[in-house]
Amino acid sequence: MPQQILADITAHVGQVLVTEGTTVTAGDTLAILESMKMEIPVEADTAGTVTKLAVIEGDVLREGALIAEIS
Amino acid sequence: MALIPAPSTPTSDGTDFRDPDLRLSGLLDPGSMAPVGPVDGCGVTRVTGLIDGAPVVAFCTDATSMGGALGAAGADRIVEAIEFAVEHGRPVIGVWHCGGARLTDGVESMDGAGRMFRAMTAASGRVPQISVVVGPAAGAAAYGPALTDFVIMSEAARVFVTGPDVVRAVTGETIDMAGLGGPEPHGTRSGVAHVAVGSEAEAYRTARALTGYFARPGAVAPGTLGDCADPAGLLPESPRRAYNVVPLVRALLDDDTFLQIQPRWARNMVVGLGRLAGRSIGVVANNPLYKAGCLDSLSAEKAARFVRTCDALGVPLLVVVDVPGYLPGVSQEWDGVVRRGAKLLHAFSETVVPRITLITRKSYGGAYLAMNSRPLGADVVLAWPDAEVAVMGAEAAVNVLHRRVLAAADAAELPELRRRLIGEQQRKAGGLGRALSLGAVDEVVAPADTRRRLARALEDLPPRRGAHGNIPL
Repeated sequence: MPQQILADITAHVGQVLVTEGTTVTAGDTLAILESMKMEIPVEADTAGTVTKLAVIEGDVLREGALIAEIS
Repeated sequence: MALIPAPSTPTSDGTDFRDPDLRLSGLLDPGSMAPVGPVDGCGVTRVTGLIDGAPVVAFCTDATSMGGALGAAGADRIVEAIEFAVEHGRPVIGVWHCGGARLTDGVESMDGAGRMFRAMTAASGRVPQISVVVGPAAGAAAYGPALTDFVIMSEAARVFVTGPDVVRAVTGETIDMAGLGGPEPHGTRSGVAHVAVGSEAEAYRTARALTGYFARPGAVAPGTLGDCADPAGLLPESPRRAYNVVPLVRALLDDDTFLQIQPRWARNMVVGLGRLAGRSIGVVANNPLYKAGCLDSLSAEKAARFVRTCDALGVPLLVVVDVPGYLPGVSQEWDGVVRRGAKLLHAFSETVVPRITLITRKSYGGAYLAMNSRPLGADVVLAWPDAEVAVMGAEAAVNVLHRRVLAAADAAELPELRRRLIGEQQRKAGGLGRALSLGAVDEVVAPADTRRRLARALEDLPPRRGAHGNIPL
C-alpha cells in the first residue's frame, strides 16, 4: 500500500522538490509548505518512490489534503 | 465480551512464551524475581523483583488459560500488587495479555475490575505505574493500562473496548484487530500508546528504561557534562524555516538518554524523559516541523498530561519553546481548543517540581503564556540571544496596529511603507528587551553554555513533588 503524505495544516505550497518517479529516503524533503508565516518542510516518513504527486507550487491545501504518495 | 483466541504457542521444547513467569523474567533483572501470594489459577501472577537494581512490583495476566481472561480473584491479585507497591513506595509494572472479563465469573468479574480501577486510581501519583501490553487487552484489560501513567505496546498488542465483531455488528464497519487497536492506530491516531515498539522483548526493555527515570532519578552532577557541543547549529539560518526539534532536545540532554513519549501522535508537541547531568528530567518542546509548532487542542492535552505525570512523580521539567501561537481554525475551536488548552494552563500553574523554560527562537501571545511562562510559575526562564517574546510577530502586529494607514496608502508605496512599519515594530516590541525588563525572561544564555546553565539551575532548585493523582487527561 502506498504511503500517503498529507498536509497537517492548512497551507500554501511554496516549493515542490520532487517529481513523480523521484526516489526518496526517509527524512528527504518533498515540498515546502507556507503557513503561520513559517516555511515547513514536508518530509518522507519512509524510503521509496514518489508514485503520485498531488500538488503544484501555489496550491492552497486544506488540512488533510494529499501531497504525495510514496511506494 | 468476546474472548479472543490466542495463537497456539508452545514451542518444541515445551516452553510457552505466554507463561507469566517467563514474561516477568524478561522484564526483571535475572534471578531477582520472587513470587508473592499463592499459585492458585486466579489468572494473575504477582511478583517482586529488581529493575537495574531498583526494587519493583510486577504482575502478569496468565494467557495460557482462557486467553488470560480476568476474573474477580485475578483482579483482586492486581489490587494486592498495587497496594503492596504503594506501601513500599515501589513502581508497579503490569504485563497484559487478556481477552477481557471472565465470562464464567459473571458480574463478579466486572466488580473485580472495578476494584482494580479504584486501586490504580488511588495509587495514581503515589508510585509510577507502567503497563506493558503484549497481546490482546480488551474491555477491563484496556482500561486497566489506560488508568496507569504509561502504556507500552508491542507489535502483538491489541487494545480496544469492543472488538471487530461487535463493531461490525453494531456499526457495519469492517476492520481487523490490528487496524482497530494495534500499535499503529494507538501510536498515531488515539494517543493510547505512550510507546509503540516491535517485539515483546523490546517492550520489556522499554519498560525497564522508563522505570529507571523514576526508580533511579539520580542527582545533578555538573562535573559530568564535559565539553558541550554548540546546539545553535541545529536551528536553520532563516527564522522562518521550520525544523525538527528532536535533535535539539537530544543535544540538550545527556547522550542517548532521551525516550520520546507518544512520538507519532500530536507531533507538533514533543514530550519525553531524559537525563541532564545525570538527573532524570521531563522535556516538553514545540516541534516546528509539524503544524509550524503551533499549539492546538491535541498537543495541549498531550503536554498537559505529561506535565502532570512529571509533577505527580517528582520529575523536574525542561520546556523548550519555539511557538508561533495557537492554530487558528473552525475545527480547532469546535474541537475544544479552549477547553483542552486550559488543561495545559492548569497543569503548569499547579506544578511544583523544578521547571525551567528555554526560549530558542520565538514565543508569541497566548502560546507564550501556556509554555511554562514566568506568570504561570516557571522557576527559571532562559532565552537564546536571537529569541523573541511578543504578543505576536511584528508583521502581524503591523497589520493590526496600522490597518487604517495601510488601507489608505498608495499601492505603489505600500511595500515600502509596510517594510518601514515592520522595522519600527521590531525595534519597539521585538527581541527580548521588554521581556527581560519585565522579568518574564531571567537571562540570555548562549547556546553553547545552555547545558551547563540548565544543570546549574536544576542543581539550585529544591526538589519538590506535586500532591495529586495523574488523571488520564
